Amino acid sequence: MSADRLLESVDRARLLVAVGSGGVGKTTTAAALALLAARRGRKTLVLTIDPARRLLQALGLDGADCVANTPLPVLPRLHQQLLAGDSNAAYSLVAPEATALDAMMLDPALGAEQMVERLLPNPALREEVLGNRIYRALLPALGASPDLVALELLAELHRRNQYELIVLDTPPTHNTAEFLQAGQTFAHFINEQVLKWFAKVPARDESSRPGFFSRGSVAAMGVLGRLFGSEVLPDIAQFFRSFRDVMPAMRARSEATDALLRSPATRFIAVTAPGETSLREARHMLALLQREGLPFAGFVVNRVLMLPQSLGDEARVQAVAASLVARLQHSGMEQQAAAHLAERLCDGASKLRDLDQADAAHVRSLRALVGRTSFLSIVPQLEHDIHTLPQLCDLGARMVQGCDAAAVSAPGPASSAGPTEAGAGAR
Amino acid sequence: MAGVLDRSVLLVTGKGGVGKSTVAASLARRAQADGKRVLLIEFESVSRVAPLFGLQEAPLEPIQLEKGLDLMGFDLLDALHGFAGDQLKVRALAKLALSNKVVRGFFLAMPAIRSILFLYHLQQLEATHGPRGDRRWDLIVCDMPTSGFVAGLYGVPAMVRQIFRVGPLAEVAESMAQLLFDPLRLGVVLVTLPEEMPVVETIELRHELRRRHGVEVAAIVVNGLYPELVDGDELAALSAVVDEPGMSSEDRNAAEQLLWAAEVMRGRAARARRVLPDLEHVAGETLVALPHLFRRKLHLDSIDALAARWRPDQRSAALRPAPRTSAVGVRP
Repeated sequence: MSADRLLESVDRARLLVAVGSGGVGKTTTAAALALLAARRGRKTLVLTIDPARRLLQALGLDGADCVANTPLPVLPRLHQQLLAGDSNAAYSLVAPEATALDAMMLDPALGAEQMVERLLPNPALREEVLGNRIYRALLPALGASPDLVALELLAELHRRNQYELIVLDTPPTHNTAEFLQAGQTFAHFINEQVLKWFAKVPARDESSRPGFFSRGSVAAMGVLGRLFGSEVLPDIAQFFRSFRDVMPAMRARSEATDALLRSPATRFIAVTAPGETSLREARHMLALLQREGLPFAGFVVNRVLMLPQSLGDEARVQAVAASLVARLQHSGMEQQAAAHLAERLCDGASKLRDLDQADAAHVRSLRALVGRTSFLSIVPQLEHDIHTLPQLCDLGARMVQGCDAAAVSAPGPASSAGPTEAGAGAR
Repeated sequence: MAGVLDRSVLLVTGKGGVGKSTVAASLARRAQADGKRVLLIEFESVSRVAPLFGLQEAPLEPIQLEKGLDLMGFDLLDALHGFAGDQLKVRALAKLALSNKVVRGFFLAMPAIRSILFLYHLQQLEATHGPRGDRRWDLIVCDMPTSGFVAGLYGVPAMVRQIFRVGPLAEVAESMAQLLFDPLRLGVVLVTLPEEMPVVETIELRHELRRRHGVEVAAIVVNGLYPELVDGDELAALSAVVDEPGMSSEDRNAAEQLLWAAEVMRGRAARARRVLPDLEHVAGETLVALPHLFRRKLHLDSIDALAARWRPDQRSAALRPAPRTSAVGVRP
């Protein structure tokens, strides 16, 4: 059963990575999966990136006591929320085996600084880098692209080994490939080869450096000088030279992160939502994961309309609308007004049917991509933002149920638009 | 006051899934219909507009789709080649230098390289002349990545100038700043959905652009409005009817499902109505509301239906001269 495959990931993985394009509910999905894991007894951390404020509220990350890039316990908050409310039934949300859930919000700008500090344990060297004009100018750009910072922080959290499971939300980046390669990309920026070009650039306070210039480095310097302007080359060279001693450490970290992403204890969950772009993104993502040999667990499809079945049949909808307004006419509604109301009822149903048919086609294309070892979870469109933990619990439960729905019902065009079967209930 | 479409560049942005591409395409089609020469630039690697005109991908060089409408994509590596070629004056030299994996990797890994190269090419495209010596395009519409990227663009000229105080790149930064901070030349169009959180975030972004960079957003587009079909009173009356005796359980079931649909439509329209006043308050006449298309795919006819909604005199944010200090993107 598809749900077993989702639960297997939640129960056994050490790292769950939620990937997907922007606006598909990735952050919320990551949080719901983490809460699900915690309620099933695993000590879990969810690392969220750019969450909506309501979700921060739900996780308790919106208060003054919240420090970015620092884990904050969530579950005590769930107890508080439940105690504050009068819903006794909600107690069942906290399973007796529930352990700890911590949540953490990524602040990329702060993370970039912390990353450099971790990379440069030597205080003198750190001073040199932190004081470098180029570094200070680049810092906002590093902070604005959370890819590298998120991966770095993940590696650090994994190294500390305080959690059974880490759920990683990924940045709303250009594409998943860029995120996954962020570590390697950084290694392209600062590496031995690049250092070699700049090693030959005289520092500002010396007119020349002894030694031979190879033809290659002369050419490289010529190109760099013409691109950057020869006046700034010494400063740029100084910036790169500051990193020379930590190069091996940087490479080791980059390799460790890469190994973690490829580990058999890691699972990638592709989050998507109905829509042409999201579907194409989901396809690309799956192809990318397969090409890179990264472990794919399954799809979570959010915001699916899930139209009740009788609404798929236009003639049936018209008949129902007519019979409803006929009853209203009996209680005094004018005929013209009644006819107009029936028309509007049918119009609404027909608009939703258009969306539903597109969604059903979308789900079918995804199902064709999902193999026997992965899951497909269909989550209905929620009519409200999630802003409490019980709602997040509920979403996790829906994800599990959504797997079953996906396995059982396969709404094709015939069944959703064809004659309605008797007693068809809301899915 | 001047029209949104009177600028020479529009950057269309918003959070993921709000319909940026649709809105960008509708702006381009509107300007085209008004007789302008328009270039649409798609930033994402997979083109949404090209398939509507029978093409697979957005080409790297502008290609004419129809009279008055050109399309191109943005490719990082291609942009890097163009930039290096311009700076080194010799295309072949740039090609040789970038054929080296380390050199290429170095440049592509530079922080903010995507923003730098995009702005560089944008200001060049804007200055491109046509065969008759006038500007080749009256309007360039850019279908941008998410709003964080666009907000980040405004910091780029300052960053480049901070690093390269003098020299060729400092000059490039200056012309980028001149384009970015001139409200008569470039406008930002923020797209949002009529839901609480996207609206709050849009208002915050507008505020941030204004406070940090002195930039007024040209227009805010609220996309995907649900029509008001059945109101709450009517729904209540209908529910009462369903509860009456004398209906088979099958009919009752179907009737409940129909009312569920009516309630979904009503709820979404009502939620939109609740958040619209906040947007109207900050955006005033620059707010444009576009209806939900009830389609999950982009179609040319729906884009044109939206395009018709952009009036040629569509009001835009009050245009202010770019303050001197904002030329490098740093405001007190």
